[in-house]
Order: sequence, then structure tokens, then C-alpha cells
Amino acid sequence: MSTENIKHDVQDTVPGRRKFLNTAALAGLAGAGLSVGLSSCKQEAAPTAAAPAAAPAPAPAPAAAHGAAAGELNLHPAPGQLDTYYGVWSGGHSGEVRVLGLPSGREIKRIPTFNIDCMNGWGITNETKAIIGTRADGSLKYKTGDTHHVHGSYADGTYDGKYFWVNDKIHGRLARIRGDIFECDKITEIPNIQGFHGIFPDKRDPVDQAVNRTTRVFCGNEFHIPHPNDGRDMDDPTKYRTLFTCIDAETMEVRWQCRVDGNMDLVATSYNGRLAAANQYNTEGGAHYEDMMSAEKDACVFFDVARIEKAVKDGKFTTIGDSKVPVVDGTKEANKDPKTALTCYVPVPKNPHGVNASPDGKYFICSGKLSPTGTVIELAKVEDFLDGKLDDLNKSIVAEVELGLGPLHTTFDGRGNAFTTLFLDSQIVKWNVDAAIKFHAGDKNAKYVIDRIDVHYQPGHISADMGETKEAGGMFLAVGCKFSKDRFLPVGPLHPENEQLIDIRGEKMSMLAEHPVYPEPHDFVIVKREKIKTRQVFNVDDFPNAIKDPKDSGVFRNGNKVTVKLVSQAPAYSLREFKVKKGDEVTLILTNLDKVEDLTHGFAIPKYDINFVVNPQETRSVTFKADKPGVYWCYCTHFCHALHLEMRTRMIVEK
Amino acid sequence: MQFAPLSHLRRLRRQTAALLACLLLGGTANADTYEVKLPPELATSPRMCDYAPCKDVIPGATAFSERKGQPWYVEAYKDEAGQKKLLGYVMLSTDITDIPAYSGKPVVTLIGMDTAGKFTGVKILKHSEPILLLGIPESALVKFNNQYLGKFVGDNIEIGKSRPEENLIGLDAITGATVTVIAQNQVMMTSGSEVAKQVGILKPVNRPQARFPASAATPSWADLVADGSVQRLTVKPEEVGLKSDGRPYMDLWFGYLNQPTIGRAILGKDGYEGLMGRLKEGEHAIFIIANNSMDSFKGSGFVRGGLYDRVQVRQDKDGFTFRDLDYVNLWSIAASGAPAFNESAIFIIRGKSFSAAYPWKLVFLGNKIDKETAAKTFANFDREYWLADTYLEGGRPVVVKPDPTWLKVWKDKVVEIIAFTALLLVIAAAYASRDQLVRRSDRKNKWPVNAFKYTGWVVSIGFVGFYAMAQPSITQVLTWFHSLLFQWKWELFLSDPLIFIFWIFIIITVFVWGRGLFCGWLCPFGSLSELLYKVGSVIGLKRLQFHPPQALHDKLKYLKYAIFIGLLAVSFFSMGLAEQLAEVEPFKTTFLVGLFNRSWPYTLFAGGLLGLSIFMERPFCKYLCPLGAALAMPTTFRWFGLRRKDECTSCKACAKGCGSLAIDTKGNIDQRECMLCLDCMVLYYDDHACPPLAQERKRRTKAGQALTPIDGKGYFIPIHPLPMDKNSKGVEA
Repeated sequence: MSTENIKHDVQDTVPGRRKFLNTAALAGLAGAGLSVGLSSCKQEAAPTAAAPAAAPAPAPAPAAAHGAAAGELNLHPAPGQLDTYYGVWSGGHSGEVRVLGLPSGREIKRIPTFNIDCMNGWGITNETKAIIGTRADGSLKYKTGDTHHVHGSYADGTYDGKYFWVNDKIHGRLARIRGDIFECDKITEIPNIQGFHGIFPDKRDPVDQAVNRTTRVFCGNEFHIPHPNDGRDMDDPTKYRTLFTCIDAETMEVRWQCRVDGNMDLVATSYNGRLAAANQYNTEGGAHYEDMMSAEKDACVFFDVARIEKAVKDGKFTTIGDSKVPVVDGTKEANKDPKTALTCYVPVPKNPHGVNASPDGKYFICSGKLSPTGTVIELAKVEDFLDGKLDDLNKSIVAEVELGLGPLHTTFDGRGNAFTTLFLDSQIVKWNVDAAIKFHAGDKNAKYVIDRIDVHYQPGHISADMGETKEAGGMFLAVGCKFSKDRFLPVGPLHPENEQLIDIRGEKMSMLAEHPVYPEPHDFVIVKREKIKTRQVFNVDDFPNAIKDPKDSGVFRNGNKVTVKLVSQAPAYSLREFKVKKGDEVTLILTNLDKVEDLTHGFAIPKYDINFVVNPQETRSVTFKADKPGVYWCYCTHFCHALHLEMRTRMIVEK
Repeated sequence: MQFAPLSHLRRLRRQTAALLACLLLGGTANADTYEVKLPPELATSPRMCDYAPCKDVIPGATAFSERKGQPWYVEAYKDEAGQKKLLGYVMLSTDITDIPAYSGKPVVTLIGMDTAGKFTGVKILKHSEPILLLGIPESALVKFNNQYLGKFVGDNIEIGKSRPEENLIGLDAITGATVTVIAQNQVMMTSGSEVAKQVGILKPVNRPQARFPASAATPSWADLVADGSVQRLTVKPEEVGLKSDGRPYMDLWFGYLNQPTIGRAILGKDGYEGLMGRLKEGEHAIFIIANNSMDSFKGSGFVRGGLYDRVQVRQDKDGFTFRDLDYVNLWSIAASGAPAFNESAIFIIRGKSFSAAYPWKLVFLGNKIDKETAAKTFANFDREYWLADTYLEGGRPVVVKPDPTWLKVWKDKVVEIIAFTALLLVIAAAYASRDQLVRRSDRKNKWPVNAFKYTGWVVSIGFVGFYAMAQPSITQVLTWFHSLLFQWKWELFLSDPLIFIFWIFIIITVFVWGRGLFCGWLCPFGSLSELLYKVGSVIGLKRLQFHPPQALHDKLKYLKYAIFIGLLAVSFFSMGLAEQLAEVEPFKTTFLVGLFNRSWPYTLFAGGLLGLSIFMERPFCKYLCPLGAALAMPTTFRWFGLRRKDECTSCKACAKGCGSLAIDTKGNIDQRECMLCLDCMVLYYDDHACPPLAQERKRRTKAGQALTPIDGKGYFIPIHPLPMDKNSKGVEA
């Protein structure tokens, strides 16, 4: 299927755009953007560059600094002014999570999560090692991770700022980020899966409707493996299975798993809490890619959460290998009667990718990836099917319309429009969901495609401000482009990714900005700053091993196990020197007793490969073998005081 | 001269004592207390004074009690005839408050206070201020602390300028260490008053907390401004010694957020609930926004854990400062019509004594830069805030506010005010009845007029001038000009009731009758000057008395205008210099200070002018007085002038007798020079003195015609109204 074919098949908005190009390009000739637009070597690149000049955005109010008025995008905050949104970004195989200020795009924080970070001491201190997970000898279980999808906790259908979750695709782990400190506080490894892809928190408790907030996080499992994966069935892919996993939002314990047919990628949840869904490819169960794309239709698998939990309660589950996690059977074979089914499989063409919930709570939209279509599934009809009121599950598909080549992910403006990334076309298509439904119902005059815009290049995830909440703001969206090619100063063969921001306030989209990002963010959420309530300093009592009084400092020996207790108060550590003996197993505990916001201290021990930071009122510890005699000047690595350089202490390792 | 050796000796003794003290105490005054190690018992032992130099902060004490009270303090005793007598109290600041200074750590201060609540000593035991280590000598902090000695703990003491009209005592700050001194002031006043409350020196303030009525109203910004729920504090660049660039130096809007109606209007429902969720019982939040200001209201003092050194909240004697952890971001203002802002804050007031039911003030502390020396001083600006009745359950509580100083003065001076007002009314009434008075007078007997005028003079000189010191001055005119142009403060003018009333009188009479009524009848110095002239005449110096030649006079009289314009011009560059130059008025020397209480140039100047007055009528008033000049100009527009006749153009009779030399060769009266002595008006009706009248009198007498009464135009009422003859023409004219 060629590009030309598609363009003619679908709603022909292209001539319109060409016309737009003529006028806008003329208008934009004076602007600096044109050359950039042309250099993108795309047939229709110019409008992108020229569009900002002709942005049909509603007239913004006069600049109101960081009291930004409604409808205003302060793209370049003046010094002292703050961004209006938090962007919480995954870091891909850098293993981290990042916090950006938006719409400026300034990176504010990197949250080490599955990776090792020598600024923070993440993976170096005992506390962080315990979160990441250790082997029996105390060494880290994993040093790598691949974060894809970040989603926040909900209350009343919108973010409550309490938690964010992110997956690790490599080792199958889910991490939780606390919204009040933007630090990872728990990591859970999911049993019997590989290729942990999509996640999504629920929005309302399906069992107790009074609990209108997130209590569970759902995890989609992509790669099918033998169950258990202990060496059996290795050469028989037909016995490979995937599991859909539910994790408790508070305890981070795995609550249950559900075995399904096919490979799952993205996950979505309904606003009423009843349904979770995962888009599926390789329903064929193939082990090689040609097998994986043989069928014309794959599926979006829906889970009736309450029914699954009832089945677990009723003991209708098995366990796999060593895992104690209850596993229910969600395969097609086991769920033939809709009235009792735990799952149902809505057919979606072909090797679909993203599944996204519309802010009005009515629809899930699945992207065809290898099919140029978007599929709109009406949730009420899925529920009807599961309740036995709808005979044919296919009737829940209220639209299946052509969008462009390689549709992947969709976001929303809260005004009934969807924005879908077209990976192969390097475009975003803006389309109206209601119009698409009318078109699908037979009204061929319904013009559902409203606009297209080129992005640079090969977009993956897309997310608008508050786009996955019922408070979708419709101001701007970010799109993660997988290739940046010629868009930034070249730095050798490895290129940054290109995160582009697009104004979606008007009928037409317009490009606002682009930012290079260190590889490789996948997904992200854009949260109004009002939703986030951060702590200014830690509470010293939150740390059981805190040294609350400098007088409690000292070296405490128990055989060859030595505990060094230290506090920091700018510009000094409480011990000017401390002595241990060669061969000791030293545990050094450091509490930062400074109460001043932003007064973080560091602690580095030369030659012992140790560095970490302690924030005000925080306690961190490290354990190491004192295997090298001599004098080691431990010093503060985090600038703290006019006497920062003088802030040091001697570790004396006696022979 | 005999004092010199004594003072020398005294100084020597003082130096020796200081030297000894330094030797004995190891130079405590400049001792390095940076991060010194204090004995741990200091913080815990009941016998605090065994570990702290308590005697240094309460001179004369010989014994101390154990720690007592909540929070802790110790009693200091002295030995009096074998009896232990309570001398005062000693407190350790860290027992009472942990207000951090610039370093984020408290300055550990030992404070002594006598039984009357006056500070007797302040001693820094330990500080962690890098600023005092790196540039500013520690002695600066010692010097700062010494400012408290002898001050009462219950006074309103703030960093910045004293404002006696608000009972506010200012302290000199340490340039470059603002945060430290603000924190120190907070420490001193909090510690002192906590102990003073416990021992009964101060009555504990117990303000009941506000309760807020439920309301569904969503006021707009304009509504909030109208009912006072948001207030504005503006500081002009001139007020902090900066050149204006069209922007205010500081333009703050602020308001109280705990009140649900106001809080929701400002923050929106979610924002309000989020913020209230952060607050503990008894904590309060306010917001501040600024836009288009020349400076930041946040500054950088808070960065190291110190205080926001530019804004604080004050409720009566309780000050509330903010540190970094008391700050919350203010994202946006929900109320419609809110102004744009480029700086914003929510501050949390954590002091227990604060109550939103009572009025409080936002205080902005500005740096005032002296243009000549570039030295920084600190100036306080504040704005009161009090929730309106509707926002408080049961409305505003009754607050007894002390009278403003100006009102106190008015109450104290009520007798003087009545007497003075009576004087002004009598003189005005007399002058208003001048027609009767001048008709009753004649060339030889002017007493009907002069009785009033001379009474006015004598009372003015004695009562107004010497007793009440209410001599109006050109400096008041200059102050007006500045007030009109920059900032009008009624308090400033009301602070001197007689001057205030005098000026109202002057302004009215200048426009009704001209400046002469003040200058000629009531100005204490003018009265003294002319009285001397009259006395000189009576005591036989008349032959030595003279008028300057008219031609010279007509030139010299403009000198006073030049002086006035000059002073006004100078005042725009430097009010201080203009005030010094205003010594061209001998008023201060004559009345306020006394002729013999000033250095000789002043005495010579004033004395010379008064001496000259014996021989020449009002030399100062005629040629030098800038106040006269300032009043002469509006006199041009006076409503009622003096009467003139047609003949006055050629007849010079009045001009000859005009002591003010105000009548020119054409017979016109220069109203700007006229002292309203009314001599010419006496002549006007005098048929023996006024030439046209005398001529007519003689004619009628010769013709045997009756001498009809003289009409308002200054002519005999004609006998033959018809047909009109030549003599009656004047009637029509």
C-alpha cells in the first residue's frame, strides 16, 4: 500500500493543505522557520515551519507571567517565571524517569529508577539498593532497565499528584514514583512474564464504586514465554503464554494475573473502573515476525476486573511455579460465555499498537499500526456484551476509519478531537471522533479528518496537557519523535530523540518548539502544576536509622562489623575523622540535619567507589568492605556552603 | 574651658576601663563567637548561669535562680543589705525561639532585662553567620545589639527609621547583613516579650481566632479590592532614594487566604483546599503578588535558610517573619479581573498569637540609598489589613486603637486651639467690619482700627509666636508643594494644630482679602517688626525713621520673589538644603529657639532685622520674606480689594502715608505689597484728610449746604439728585 493510495483513499485533506502551504509559505517567507521546514526534506514540510506565524490560536491574554491566564501558553518563561505544567517523562533504556517544565521544555529533574546514578547514589546506598532489589550477597539484582510508560494516579477522573508509575520492559518490573518528592519509593518484579509493556492505573475501584481513585495498576505483558520459564517447553512456542497483571497501588504487591491469548502492548482503563484493556498483536502466537503478522485482525482484549477478582476470591485460580500470585484463565477458550467471561477480545486490524481512553469516558481508541486505521470501541457496548445484552462484540466497534500510515498512539483535546501519531507518515492527524463514528455509520459526507501536521521524524507516543484525564485541557501536545536526524547539532552517530510541542488550541495545529532529549523517552504525561504538591524537605522521622542528634555520632563496633554514624550540618560533618580497621565491614549512616530547603549534601569516599547525596533531613547509608588501608578524605560533593570545600572528614583505615 | 581637663580625664578613665575589661574578659566585645562550641549544659542545665556569662547582660547582678517558667528564663538578684533583691531576668534565646538567621541556624543570644522590662544587656554566645566571618566585623552585630539597651520590651521596635507618629522605634541595620539583624530583632523581641508576659511586665495578648461564616459568594478581584480583602502597598522610587523610571519601586497586592470566601476566590476551590490541607491548626496563609516593580519583594535572604528579609507581618507588637519552608508557590489567581504579576508568593504565618479577626499589617522593608554617600539605610513601609465584617462571624471585634499622635496633640492643645481660633475669628470679623471701623476713625484717631490690629499684633507676638511657636514658615509651603506633587499625608500637617488652623485661615483670607490680613495683622514676626517701628516712633525716634526711595523700593521688592523661587527650586534637589537656606527667615531664631540661644550669625541676622525695624517699617517683610512672596502671588486673585476713588489717580495723599509703599504714582494699590493697615481707607472717608472730600466739604460749608453722610464710594451723598450735576458723576462711575 503506497502513500499515494492512502492519501486518496482517506478523506482528501491534502489539497487543502497544499493550498495552505502556498499562502502560509508566502506569509512565512519573511520568517526564519522556512529554511528549517524545507531542510526537513519532506514533501510537505513547509507548513509545519510556517504555521506558527499563521497560528489560528485564540488571541491569548496579555502576558501574565507565572499567573498565566487561561488559554495562554507561556512558551518562553522569563527568568523567575515558572512553567505552567509538569511533564513526567520516561527515559527508555536509560532506565530513568525525568521531570520537565512545560511548555518551556526545561529539564528539571532526572529520577534514577532502574538505573544506577552516581550523582544521587541510586544503586549505591543501602536504601536505594533495597528498592531496586539485591541478591543474597547484597549486590544489585539488575543494573539495567527500560522505562516506557509513565502514568499518574487518579482521583475523581483526574490526576491527584500522589504517584506516578513506570514500567521496566527488560526485567518486567513496575516502579512507583512518589509525587510529593519525585523519587522512586518501590519497585515490584512481576513473576512469569517477559517484555512488560503497557501500564495503566485504574481510575475507580470496580468493586467499591465509592472509592473514586486509583487503587490498582494494570500491566500488559508482551513476550510470551513458557509457564514457568524454567527450561520446559522451550521449543514449543504454542505453549508460550502471556499474563495480564494487577498490582496494588498502595502496597505494590501483585494482586493477580490473568493468562490471555496473544501479546499485549499498551493498556487503558475505563473511568468507571469496570474495564481494563490491552491492545494485542501476535494473536497468532508466532515466534517469528512473519508469523506474528500473518492474521489480518488482532485484538484489543478487555478485562472485567470485578469478575476476575471474584474468581480469585472464589479460588478459581492456579499458580505458576514458585509464584504465589493467583493466575486466572482469560483465554478465549475459557471465556466463551459472555455473561461469565473474565475477558473478551474485540477484533482490531492489524498488529495494532496504542489504546487510549477518550476524556469523555465513552471510547477506547486503538491504532492499527500495520493497518492505516483507527478503531473506536464504545465501552458501554463492551459492557453490554459482557452483560449479555449485546449479541455480537463486533458491534462495539463504532468506527474504524483510515487515518494515515502507521497509526500508533492517540491523545485528546477534551473537545471531541483525537490526535493520532502516524509513524510511517511522520505526521500527526487530528480527527473528530463523532464525525468518524458518523462516517463509519455510512455518512460519507462526514469529514472526520480536520488537520495534519508534519513532525520530525517518525513519531511514537503523543500526549496532550491532561489528555488522559477528564480534564483534558486542549492547549498543547507533546510528541516523541524517534528520529531527529538533521534537527540538532550533530554529535556523532548517536542522535538525541526529538520531542516536539504542538499548539492544539485552534482548528489547525501549529508547531511550537522542539527539544533534543537523551535516549530514549517513550511515553509521558503532562500535568497541570496545580495538581502537584511537593514537600520542601524530608521529615527526619521518616528514616528509621536517622541520627537525630549530632551527639549520637561515632564509630560503633560489633566484631568486624562497624557502624559509622555521621550527621552533616553545613559546612561540617559531625566527625572530623573516623577510624576503622582493614577488613571491617563498614556501614556508614549519614543524616543531613540541615533543615534549609535545597541544602543537599554529598558524601564521596575516594577509591571506595562511593558517592551519594543526602537531602535536608534525609538519612542514607552505605555498606562496604574496608579493604584498603590509608587515609581517605571523604568530602561533600554537592555544593552547600561558602566553606563547601572545607566540608570533609578523614576515613582512616588502619592496617 | 575648665571642663576640658575633666572630660579628658573622664575619657582616659573610660579607655582604661575598656582596656581592663578587654584584658579580663579576653576581649569579649570582639570575641569570635563564630561556631564556637558551647557547653552542652548551657542548653539543659537548671543552673544556666553557671555556663553562661549572665552577669554581663544584667549589670550589678550577683546571684541567679535556676531556670524556671515556660519557656525558660532565670531571675537575677543583687545583694542589698544582706537581702536578695530581684534585679531582673536573663534568658537564652534558643530556649524561647529557634528563628534562624542568615546561616539557617539561630544566633544564640543571652539577653538581660530589668524588672521594668527594659533590656539591660545582650550577648552573642554563638553564631554561624558566614557574613560576619567574611566581611562584616562581628562588632557590627554587637553594636547593633547595643541599640536595645534601655529600650522597653513592649515597644514597637523595627529595623528602619523611627516613626514617632506611629509609636515605632527604628533600629539602624547592618548594611549587608539584613537577614541577620531582622532575625536578631525577632529573637530579641520574641524572647523579651515571652518572658515579660510570664513575669507580668506585659499583659499576654490573647486574640481569639477568627471564625468565618459560610458563604457561596465568588467575589471578583474588583469586589475583593472594594471590600478591602486585598490591599495594595506601593512604594515609590523617590521614597527609597531612587530615580523614577515610571515604575513603582514596589507595587504589592496582598490578602488573607484562610477566609474561605476570599481564599477560594483567589486560589480557586482546588487551590484553596490544597493549601488548607498543608496548614496545621493555628497556621495562616497570606498571598502577595507584585508586578512591574523595580525590585523583588523576595530578595535572596531566604536562600540560605534565613528569612525573607523584605516582607513581614506585624500584628500590634507581634512580628511574623517567613523562612524558606514558610513559602508556597502561588500559581495563579482565580478571581476575574486580577492584575498580572511577575512575582508571587504564599507565605504561612506560624505564630500562635496571630488572629485574622484583628487588624494586621504587611511590612515592606526597603533599602534607602542616600544619593550623596551611597550609604544604605532601611525604611519601613506598611499597609493595614483587616477582614471586613461580612467575612467574620459576628463581624469585626472591637479594637481599641490608641489615638493617632496628631489627635493626641489636638486633644492636649484644646485650650490653645480654642484661644487661637477665637483670635483668628475676631481679627477676621474686625476686618470684615472694616467699613464701620474706618468710618469711626479719622486721620488723627485710628484707634477703632488699631485697637483690633494692635491686639492682634500683641497676641500674635506673645501667644502665637513666643508661647505657641506657631509662626508660619516658607518651609511649610515647600512641604506642601512636595506633598501635592508626591504624597499627601494629612498626618504630617495635622501634627501641629495651630499651624494647621493658621494655614486654613491664611489660604481663605489670601483669596478673600489678600495676604495683608495675615502679614499685616497676624504674622508674629511681621507684627513684632512693625510694633518696633511704632514704638520707635512713639519714643521719639520718629525723626530717624525713614522710607527707602520709592524707585529703589520698587526694585528691591522683587527680591523676595527671587528668594522664594530659589528656595522652591532647591527643594526639588534637596529638601534638607532648602530647609537650611530657609533660615533667611529669622523666625526660628526669634521665636522657636530664642535670639540668644543660637550662634552669632543667626542672632546677628535676626537682631539686625529687628533693629532695623525700629527705623524702617518692616524691612524683612518688604524685601526678603519668601513666605510673603509666596502669599503675594495668589493675592493677585483676591476677591475684595480696597476702595479707590477717581481722584486717587492724581491725588497722592494716601500714597504719602502708605507705610508699605504699596501705592504707586498713579494711585493704584499694589495688593501684593499691601499690609491692609487700612490707613488709606481711614482717609477715604475722612472729610478733613481726603482732598476731594475736604474740597467738597469746604464748598458745601461755604455754600451753606448741608454735609450729607459720605456714601460707600467715598463721597457726600449729593443734595440734588436731579438733574445730574458734575459732582454726582462719581456716584454713577
